[in-house]
Amino acid sequence: MSDPVFWETLGLTLRVSLLSTLILLLMGVPLAWVLAHKRFWGKRVVESVVLLPLTLPPTVLGFYLLLLLGQNGPIAQVLGFSWAFRFEGLVVGSVLFSLPFALNGYREAFRGLEPDLIQTARTLGAGWLRVWLEVILPLTWPGILSGSILAFAHTLGEFGVVLMVGGSIPGKTQMVSIYIYDQVQALRFDRANQAAGVLLLISFALVYLVRSLEDRWKSRTPSSVR
Amino acid sequence: MEIAYTLERPVRLSLRLHIRGFTVLLGESGVGKTSLLKAVAGLLPARGEPFGGLPAERRPVGYLPQHFALFPHLRAWQNVAFPLVRWPRTQRRERALGYLAQMGIAELAERFPRELSGGQQQRVALARALAREPALLLLDEPTSALDMGTREEVFSGVLERLRALRIPTLAASHDPWLAQRADWIGVLTRGGLLQQGTPEEVFTRPASLEVARLVGFRNLFEASVGAVDGEWLWLDSPLGRLKALRPAWAQPGRRVWLGLRSEEVFTLEGEENRLRGRLLALRAQGVRWRGYLEVGGASLEFLLPRYRLEGLGLREGEEVEVRLEPRFLHLMPD
Repeated sequence: MSDPVFWETLGLTLRVSLLSTLILLLMGVPLAWVLAHKRFWGKRVVESVVLLPLTLPPTVLGFYLLLLLGQNGPIAQVLGFSWAFRFEGLVVGSVLFSLPFALNGYREAFRGLEPDLIQTARTLGAGWLRVWLEVILPLTWPGILSGSILAFAHTLGEFGVVLMVGGSIPGKTQMVSIYIYDQVQALRFDRANQAAGVLLLISFALVYLVRSLEDRWKSRTPSSVR
Repeated sequence: MEIAYTLERPVRLSLRLHIRGFTVLLGESGVGKTSLLKAVAGLLPARGEPFGGLPAERRPVGYLPQHFALFPHLRAWQNVAFPLVRWPRTQRRERALGYLAQMGIAELAERFPRELSGGQQQRVALARALAREPALLLLDEPTSALDMGTREEVFSGVLERLRALRIPTLAASHDPWLAQRADWIGVLTRGGLLQQGTPEEVFTRPASLEVARLVGFRNLFEASVGAVDGEWLWLDSPLGRLKALRPAWAQPGRRVWLGLRSEEVFTLEGEENRLRGRLLALRAQGVRWRGYLEVGGASLEFLLPRYRLEGLGLREGEEVEVRLEPRFLHLMPD
């Protein structure tokens, strides 16, 4: 592929997606656990807020983020830095945008876990750390991984949020989907075609991986024991 | 050993119960048996002794939920080795195999839980609980996840092994079969613990009408005490005037409940408590027959082995004479 800008763009997109996915993993797993197992006041509100990015137009989400993170936003005024039109801003936007995808995957994984297993593990002398490392994670990792992969794939192709927050500066904040749009606008269909093909391949490979994980995960859930 | 626990949620419950050998907490579903076991295991907030205030992981109990909760990603011996973290890694497998052997299933060590039958899963779960070296075993409905046909055979083996190990055990159950094989029984209802005692005591001398129903008394009549004479008394009942053993509390004129087991309607020869009635219906129940006699407007249920029925030559619609043994008539306060 002849255009060096494309490779830069692809590299940036992968870095944003990977970092967002890792942040989602650290943030989303505890959050999904709490949502799947705890009852607390205002739980519905929290559930609705984290699902909001599914229905909200990405430009609306991006717009609010731009206000929040921009030069004159509250964060800039209080903390003195602005993440708009920067790598960090892209990551924040991506995390919020893909949160529902990751959470759904994690929550399904936790819901399939029998509460009896955790309780019994505790009566067998295991503290919370052992329960997580030796019971919960071994039984739910395929679900957690598939949620993460979906979030990663979803971030790869995002458009509206990153356009608003990042501003599509080539080599700095331009993601692949915006690159393709720009190439089409400039009538360079060959470049758009190549970039689109690469995204198609990556997406297919990821979804295929998720499907195989789901099969494996289903065969391990406790309900199949009986 | 005695447990004394008070729970507020999910059910309000407060009880004090002796644990003597294999103890069964008998009660219908929904009265809080499972909640009590979980409270003793530290899995539900509750006040009580022993183990009060300790987190679940520090209580020396072996807890078996109804479906045993074996870890599906671990082999049988790895399940048993789960609580053995105090031992060096190299010894865990050998110790786990030892506990499996105690339960008589050493040959299943390499299987995964999904490759085991219900009874085998139960034994693995017991071996795992024993590896915790518990001061008390808690079993939730231990016979309910076993196949009906082989339940008695399968669980009798488990019971023998538990008795041989002399570990105090509390089993929550609604299964009278299991309760009859216990060393000690507590009867739990919504109103709390109604009675505790040996199976012989609870099954023949239930303390109240509710307990009598739970332990299988099918003939229950309201009656009143007519006359008393030493250790005997005479009852005015819907069946007629009956002689019975006198409980200390029974005074003339007192209203009582009269209970009689269906198995004890046709009894030995004798002159007392002879009743005439019409045989309303006979129903086969396996190798036994359940019949209904109309006596003085009341219906008396009986249960006879088929050879006795044939020996007596009973037919529906016929007049029949029965005799109720005075010692088997059980009185409960109204």
